[in-house]
Amino acid sequence: MQFLDEISGSVPALRRYARALTRNADRADDLVQDCLERAIRKQRLWAPTGPLQAWLFKILLNVYRNDFRQQRRRGDHQSIDTLLVEPAVPAPQHGRIALGEMSRAIDALPADQREALLLVVLEGVSYEDAAGILGIPAGTLMSRLSRARAALRTMTGVSEEPRLRSVK
Amino acid sequence: MSDRELEVTDALLLGFADGRLTDNERVAVERYLASHPDKAAELAHWQRQNEALQALFGPVASEPVPARLDPHLIARGRAANSNFRWPQMAAAAVVLIAIGSSIGWFGRDVLLPSETASDILIESAITAHALFVKEKRHAVEVAATEKDHLLSWLSNRIARPIDSPDLASEGFALVGGRLLPESLFSNAGPAAQLMYENAAAERVTVYITAALPDGAAAYEFTTLNALDAFYWANDAITCTVVGDLPEAEMQTVARKVYQQLTRRPDANYRAL
Repeated sequence: MQFLDEISGSVPALRRYARALTRNADRADDLVQDCLERAIRKQRLWAPTGPLQAWLFKILLNVYRNDFRQQRRRGDHQSIDTLLVEPAVPAPQHGRIALGEMSRAIDALPADQREALLLVVLEGVSYEDAAGILGIPAGTLMSRLSRARAALRTMTGVSEEPRLRSVK
Repeated sequence: MSDRELEVTDALLLGFADGRLTDNERVAVERYLASHPDKAAELAHWQRQNEALQALFGPVASEPVPARLDPHLIARGRAANSNFRWPQMAAAAVVLIAIGSSIGWFGRDVLLPSETASDILIESAITAHALFVKEKRHAVEVAATEKDHLLSWLSNRIARPIDSPDLASEGFALVGGRLLPESLFSNAGPAAQLMYENAAAERVTVYITAALPDGAAAYEFTTLNALDAFYWANDAITCTVVGDLPEAEMQTVARKVYQQLTRRPDANYRAL
């Protein structure tokens, strides 16, 4: 049962990551449930020495990518509610990024950059583990993170603090 | 001045924003940023990105976790499935079939308190069978090659953990499945249809929904439009097996499906 206890401990992080990937609470929990069922079914494939949480993230990402492909094939669309409702968040303070704007910007990122950035920034996964979860070399991970950061800056940069520039 | 600074790579800058550097590395980056205001502004924005992401999604991890995401409950469901003791189930199924066929139509009111809903489900199962068994390329929505995905998807949508019955001993292999809309007035929610095919290209479908609101046990054998349907309901699911096989073969297949889908954690049957 220790295996199940350890999985339980990872559920909040899996939900958070799935929510950020999908921005849809129901769909996120469907993904997590799917992930947990697979993990429990494939329990014997898990070597007890490896990091369990990294393995779970890997399964979650597989489920997410399959689901994403299926949705596109079926032409399944998000409900109007999901599309219209922005997360209930306070108005941005001076110098902060407007959260609604950030939420849309994350959505607009290419999937590979979104997956990488959220793993590192939101979930605090080490670069090494993140590269392992995504199945890419460390250098590729770093360049995805750089590109994601640059894209987010372009998309959300308008509310930046004004900076003095010398004019010729 | 800048010539004498350590080489500050993008990786180091990212590590700084993400708080992954050693003390020495951090000091080197800080020194570099002091003389590179553009980079400093960029890094400041990266850190605000981190704050925004945490503010947006961080609280999700403190939300109460719904029961369906409890690994212990999920595992218990699976254990119950694999501990299925089928000789007892087979005996029970035989009893059910015997009762069902001997009571006759005058027992219908007793057996089928939700008769109307059951009849709607049976008709829906037969209609869906007739529609999709004719399809060659689009017989199923998700093929058996993606069985794991198919079953977890359908289980989620009908809100009941289902496994595909193994009909290999009857010569039938799973083709795949699809999700179907809720039958009007049935109150049983959407339906999962699993399709099986044998070497002679004969097809059988299994139509599963969540239990009817009253959860009452029911059992029925119907023939409609030259198709045979075995239907039963319990407090977990309703299931209709549809096909046009010879009667004995149809009964064997239906019994197999029944045995494999009607599982109880305690392996006890609720008597009719």
